[in-house]
Amino acid sequence: MKKFRLYFEEHNRGPLTQLWQQFQRQHVAVFGLVIFVFFLLLTIFAPLLSPHSPYLQNSDLLLLPPSWSEQGLVQYPFGTDDLGRDLMSRLMKGATYTFGIALITVIGSLLMGLALGAMAGMSKGLKSSIFNHVLDLALTIPSLLLAIIIVAVLGPGLWNTTWAIMLALLPQFVHGIRNAIQDTLKQDYVAAYRLDGASNWQVLRYAVLPNIWEHITVMATMALSTAILDVAALGFLGLGAQAPTSEWGVMIADALDLIYLAPWAIALPGLLVFAAVLSVNLVGDGLRTAMTKRREN
Amino acid sequence: MMLHYFLRRTFLIAFVFVALTVLAFSLSYLFPGEVLNNVSGLTSIDPEQQQALIQYYALDQSVIMQYLGYVHRILAGEWGLSFSSQQPVLAEIIAVFPATLELASYALILSFVLGIPLGLFAAVKADSFFGKLISGITLVAYSIPIFWWALLLIMLFSLTLGLLPTAGRINVLFDIPTTTGFMLPDIWLSDIPYKSEATQDALRHLLLPAIVLATYPTTVMIRFTRDSMLAVLEQSYIKTARAKGLSRAQVLYHHGLRNALLPVIRQIGLQFSTLITLAMITEVIFSWPGIGQWLLDSIYQRNYPAIQGGLLVVSCLVIVVNMLTEILHTLFNPLARKA
Repeated sequence: MKKFRLYFEEHNRGPLTQLWQQFQRQHVAVFGLVIFVFFLLLTIFAPLLSPHSPYLQNSDLLLLPPSWSEQGLVQYPFGTDDLGRDLMSRLMKGATYTFGIALITVIGSLLMGLALGAMAGMSKGLKSSIFNHVLDLALTIPSLLLAIIIVAVLGPGLWNTTWAIMLALLPQFVHGIRNAIQDTLKQDYVAAYRLDGASNWQVLRYAVLPNIWEHITVMATMALSTAILDVAALGFLGLGAQAPTSEWGVMIADALDLIYLAPWAIALPGLLVFAAVLSVNLVGDGLRTAMTKRREN
Repeated sequence: MMLHYFLRRTFLIAFVFVALTVLAFSLSYLFPGEVLNNVSGLTSIDPEQQQALIQYYALDQSVIMQYLGYVHRILAGEWGLSFSSQQPVLAEIIAVFPATLELASYALILSFVLGIPLGLFAAVKADSFFGKLISGITLVAYSIPIFWWALLLIMLFSLTLGLLPTAGRINVLFDIPTTTGFMLPDIWLSDIPYKSEATQDALRHLLLPAIVLATYPTTVMIRFTRDSMLAVLEQSYIKTARAKGLSRAQVLYHHGLRNALLPVIRQIGLQFSTLITLAMITEVIFSWPGIGQWLLDSIYQRNYPAIQGGLLVVSCLVIVVNMLTEILHTLFNPLARKA
């Protein structure tokens, strides 16, 4: 029911509502959000939803084509691989690995970046200069090289390469959060809060963080798309997740020998990586636009 | 002002190099296996040899002395032996590195040639159909996993249509003497009778890897040029220039482009380490004999001295490119010198 407005009064909505209003005006971004939520649900509920076990080998049904071709079976919508494992179940389980691990790396990296960025942003002079120098070093080592070194020291495996991706994402978080904090510290309301006798921690907690969380969210979505691509690439190269695991990159590498026989086994996992990254980028772009528009109003 | 800036930069670079060598040095200890094997690169060491080698690599002395010895050896070009071939690591790196540089620079040039004009176009005609189309394609290309993209192109152009080769830098039938290590200049410098055929073949081999590798930097370039041009066009000096009676093209060239391209220059340096990661993946897929493939072979073979050397070379390349773009940015933008 529409509110009856007797007097002219201004309606001030909370920042989150304003952000959502701007966000939902961009249809492409909302579409991205729907796909993003779909992948998120798949990541959590894949073991319950998948029709077969992703590791169950059925030697009667090797390299079954997808169900839309003549020889396909409807019980195996995307066909089976060369060991007779159901491709659809493997793809669903793969969301837990590729998408889920990427989420965990971003959250881990974000928390570390928040701590380091807050330290760098609140400090001045020599301490902050040393911080920058160390960060510059971290920025110069390409993420794949970092992963190679970590694999050489710790051995290959999904969790070991997670560290490499976290470390590779960290510098941009620290840089971004540090710059955002320093920009906010210049504002008048921070100075006023300081004059009220607020300590460094209180300034950070009550004046700075509420004003930069939008920035941080946008940064996190950008990092998430990089993380998904990195997890898949490392799996593809054999450095990350190992063979029986149904991580999407590993599945592409597995199907490489069958490129003539079963091109769909390469096309489908790649398509999912692409869709996941695209949805994250759509949401990120939408959030960024919504944020700028909200600030302008 | 400028001198002070360069001094600060030099100090920073020196710090980064020291930290990098410390990291590379500590890897000999962190890698599995005996430190002596990792440092020297010898796979089997006789007991008689052992004492002499420990003396030579100063392993019986303090860590600081070992580190100084390591830096001295690095500067002297003595980078140890590769575990798999027992050849000097530095010689192997020199043999494979130009291939990576060649591929990466063609991809970068391609991304400039395509990215900047398209980005400008998308900014100037932001609301038109083509402007939106460019932005849409960029978002798609930005999200595509590079190894999958490479496989799709191989499936289409090489396996289905049979137009382009899938692997290597040139057909093995051509015998090109190595002078610079870069394939195209090598062909032109050599005195072989089949120069034009060799060039054509090398270009055909180059096409797919260069397109695959250029995809990411081109999209980044388009996005950045577009965003920064849009920001510049909002500025009041653009309105002033228009009010003074300059034509649209003049405003765009003299006031728009020059200011819009400044952040783009900086972005090249920041994105360069991503480009190297992508180049390494591209090399593996197209069997391009560059440092990326060499490094990944090294990790499969647990070839630790090679990884150590690769870390130094690749990081140095990224540092140098970063430094060059920083300096270029500062030269073009007086405002950046204050910082």
